[in-house]
Amino acid sequence: MRRTYLGEFEEVVLLMVAILDGEGYGVTVSQALEEHTGRIVTFGTVHNTLIRLEEKGFVRSELGGATAERGGRRKRLFRITALGSRALQEIQQLRQDLWQLLPPNTLQLNGI
Amino acid sequence: MKSRTDEPPRFAHWLLTKLHPDDTLEEVEGDLDELYTYWSARSGKTQATLRYLLNVVSVLPPFVRKREQEHKPYSNLTTAMLRNYLKIAYRTLQKHRLYSLLNIGGLAIGMACCLLIALYILDELSYDRFNPNYSRIYRVVEKQKQADGIYDVAVTPGPLAASLKKDFPEVELTTRIGRWSGLLTHGRQAIEPDKMLIVDPSFFALFDFPLLLGDVTTAFQGPDEVIFSEGMAERFYGKDWPYKHILGQLIQLNTQQTLKLVGVARNPPSRSHIQFDVLLPFKWLEKNDEWSMKWNSNSYHTYLQLRPELTNTSAGLEPFAHKIRNSLQRYINGDKTQLMLQPLSAIYLHSKFSFETDWGKRSDIVYVRIFIAVGLIVLLIAIINFINLATARASGRAKEVGVRKTIGAQQLNLIGQFLGEALLTTGLAVGLAVFLANFLVPLFNDISGKVLQLPYHLGLFWILLVGMTGVVSLLTGLYPAFILSSFRPVTALKGIVNAGKGRSFRQILVIGQFVLSVSMGIATVVIYKQLSFVQTAKLGFDKEHLIYLRLKGDLRAKAWTFKQQVEQLPGVAKASLTTSNLVGITNSAFVEWEGQAPKDEFLMTNMNIDQDFVSTVGMKVLAGRNFSAQIPSDTSGTLGAYLINETAAKRMGWTLRTALGKRIKHWGQDGLVIGVLKDFHFRPLHVAIEPFIFRYQPSNPYFNLLVKTEPGAIGQTLSRLAAVYKKNEPVSPFSYGFVNQDLDAQYKAEQRAGRIIFYFAMLAILIACLGLFGLAAFTAEQRTKEIGVRKILGASIVSLVALLSQDFLKLVLIAILVASPIAWWCMNQWLNEFAYKVTIDWWLFALAGSLAIGIALLTVSFQSIKAALMNPVKSLRSE
Repeated sequence: MRRTYLGEFEEVVLLMVAILDGEGYGVTVSQALEEHTGRIVTFGTVHNTLIRLEEKGFVRSELGGATAERGGRRKRLFRITALGSRALQEIQQLRQDLWQLLPPNTLQLNGI
Repeated sequence: MKSRTDEPPRFAHWLLTKLHPDDTLEEVEGDLDELYTYWSARSGKTQATLRYLLNVVSVLPPFVRKREQEHKPYSNLTTAMLRNYLKIAYRTLQKHRLYSLLNIGGLAIGMACCLLIALYILDELSYDRFNPNYSRIYRVVEKQKQADGIYDVAVTPGPLAASLKKDFPEVELTTRIGRWSGLLTHGRQAIEPDKMLIVDPSFFALFDFPLLLGDVTTAFQGPDEVIFSEGMAERFYGKDWPYKHILGQLIQLNTQQTLKLVGVARNPPSRSHIQFDVLLPFKWLEKNDEWSMKWNSNSYHTYLQLRPELTNTSAGLEPFAHKIRNSLQRYINGDKTQLMLQPLSAIYLHSKFSFETDWGKRSDIVYVRIFIAVGLIVLLIAIINFINLATARASGRAKEVGVRKTIGAQQLNLIGQFLGEALLTTGLAVGLAVFLANFLVPLFNDISGKVLQLPYHLGLFWILLVGMTGVVSLLTGLYPAFILSSFRPVTALKGIVNAGKGRSFRQILVIGQFVLSVSMGIATVVIYKQLSFVQTAKLGFDKEHLIYLRLKGDLRAKAWTFKQQVEQLPGVAKASLTTSNLVGITNSAFVEWEGQAPKDEFLMTNMNIDQDFVSTVGMKVLAGRNFSAQIPSDTSGTLGAYLINETAAKRMGWTLRTALGKRIKHWGQDGLVIGVLKDFHFRPLHVAIEPFIFRYQPSNPYFNLLVKTEPGAIGQTLSRLAAVYKKNEPVSPFSYGFVNQDLDAQYKAEQRAGRIIFYFAMLAILIACLGLFGLAAFTAEQRTKEIGVRKILGASIVSLVALLSQDFLKLVLIAILVASPIAWWCMNQWLNEFAYKVTIDWWLFALAGSLAIGIALLTVSFQSIKAALMNPVKSLRSE
């Protein structure tokens, strides 16, 4: 099965887009990142990642939602595509399968 | 409304709008604005500003990712595309063989010229740089203020070097160089070296002239020593001198003094302004000539090596130069002469000194500049050819451009393609140029008098070649590439391409080419006219059939008997004893005369002659009489006789008549003026005739015997002269020269430059004509149909040829009109170097112009006639 590679940061950003459900754009995604993961990243990183995700077909975007606080400029709003949600689900599935294979108590012991 | 203070930093915002990709600018701008408001609400304005800055940078290139475009430009650097480009380039070259040949050939010739000239110039500029410390070595020269002006003089007093070293801590080393001449004998070998120098022991420390034999540390500590160059050692001891024990051998100087050979120095490199065969120590001179250690002995070159810290910075030298400027006053009371520092690397190209005080190898920076200009002009003409042919033939490739654009090529791709083609053509031309240059180097060496080689072993040479290829292909390719790639596909594919586009630009370029080449043509004509003028000018005496014999050794004492024997030889018409051989006489002294105003003094050049001089060299006595052996007062030691020239009479305020009988004191000797001679040139025609005085003092030494020979059979006469010479002076070799040849040799630099410019002017015209030929061929091809129609309607071949040729002739005519004043101005500058010069007549321009027109006409008419003779059926058949 050919699987498009999804990096860790890409995965988080993709999740954010999914969480924001149509309201995701540069500002909200970076704010959500900061809020939920505590990671402070430059805007450029988020911007580039969103573009890359769109190139890979995991999100689609459209312009819209101009507001006065941004000087009447439009936002590029992102929405997760079917491919994107399948990729997320596959990752989730894979993790769960792997967790199942974990011998009991391994993590607790190592954690001490 | 938000207040202004809420706005993000304007500079950062401006940067963002300038540098961020256009298609995502709006959203990013908005997002960052929003974030800024968010940050400043949360953590204050300063924090917000900082974060804004950081984040702006994060969305600037090269960090920002560009959104994929709808029409992404195809990269033309795929192998398939490259193969296609190469194939098309090859096919274009093949299909238009003539144009390809003209382009590549013209460029190759131009670049070969540039290569050769670059070699020449690099050679000229590299003089004396073989000395490791050349940047710290200076020669001390004088600016002498004399009654009649300021003179630059390259010589300095003997004690100066030591005094400067003592008084100025900045001076690390000094050395003096003087000139000497004489006869060296060893056993039965007798050689008179051309270049004999007297040097201090520090000569070997200052300059890089290593000793192959002998010890530098001990050499020249004693007075009676001598050092040979390899060449001299070979002349004395044969090729196997390194295997003979020659150190310590005794050499006779002028058969009176004995010197010990203490070393053999490597031959001075050809790129050295100091050239020597034999070196003598200054100690020897001091022993034999006390005068050399006096302050008024102004005869030696003084070189200084300064401490490194002085020359490391550009400002370091200035204070020292200033200190030294008036230092001569410290040593000679009241001497106003200024001392200047001349860098070692400037001596070869920048030495213009009076009174022949500068000896050794010299060239002139002016000619270096002229050659650079000439080389670039030839190359420029070749480049213009390429541009013209490429743009003229652009319509031929319009369809290709149209198709490529339709399929999706962007202008940038096309520019790349055409530049690549230019690079290919230029590359071929460079290859051919190296081949040509390699082939032409011997010829060029012959013209330029140098021994040059293409430095294949130098990495720099290849880098330069690659650089030249790059620059030339950009110059040739850029304009055509823009023209070709700017065709609109729709019109190009319809076949509507305005062939006249860029026509006026091409015409201007053609005019430019011909302005350059016609100017060079005019320059050549003027230079040759001036050179033939100086060589055939009436000098005031008859230089033909005039031989001078150097009187050496015993002959100086036996001069008069020698003269008598020579006069009796068959083939000898007349002979005269003199001090000079009439070539560049510089021996001068101050003079006092009757009626001299106070403070009015000048230098008068002089020569000691005998009573036969005037008739031997064919001078003319304008007033008074010649010296006579019968009149005792002429040679009297108390009140002798003088002959002066017209200029001298005028300078002292006399006319031809009143000059006679006037009293003159010259070199402490009183005498009366007994005659005035017609002015004659005793220096090159660069300078005006100056006052001259002849002495008649048979008891003083003579150095030359001038011999006027009968015309014809000069060889026999010479061997007879040599025999008489040998009989009287068996030791010193017989040395002689032809006065006319030596006079001509004074203009060697000009002759050489004239020859080089002549050849390059020919090349320039040739290349320009290649271009014209190509353009004519192109026009004829374009107008095939028009010519066909005209022929059918009854046009004669002559009228057709005229029709096709006149366009080009017009351009050449304009070029001649433009070139004439430019060339006139430039040549006037050059002629100003001469006091006696030809006038630049209008017919020179007419001559050069008509030559240019003639050549252009020949070039163009070949194509025109071909086109006019074509069968109209053929040209009109296809439609």
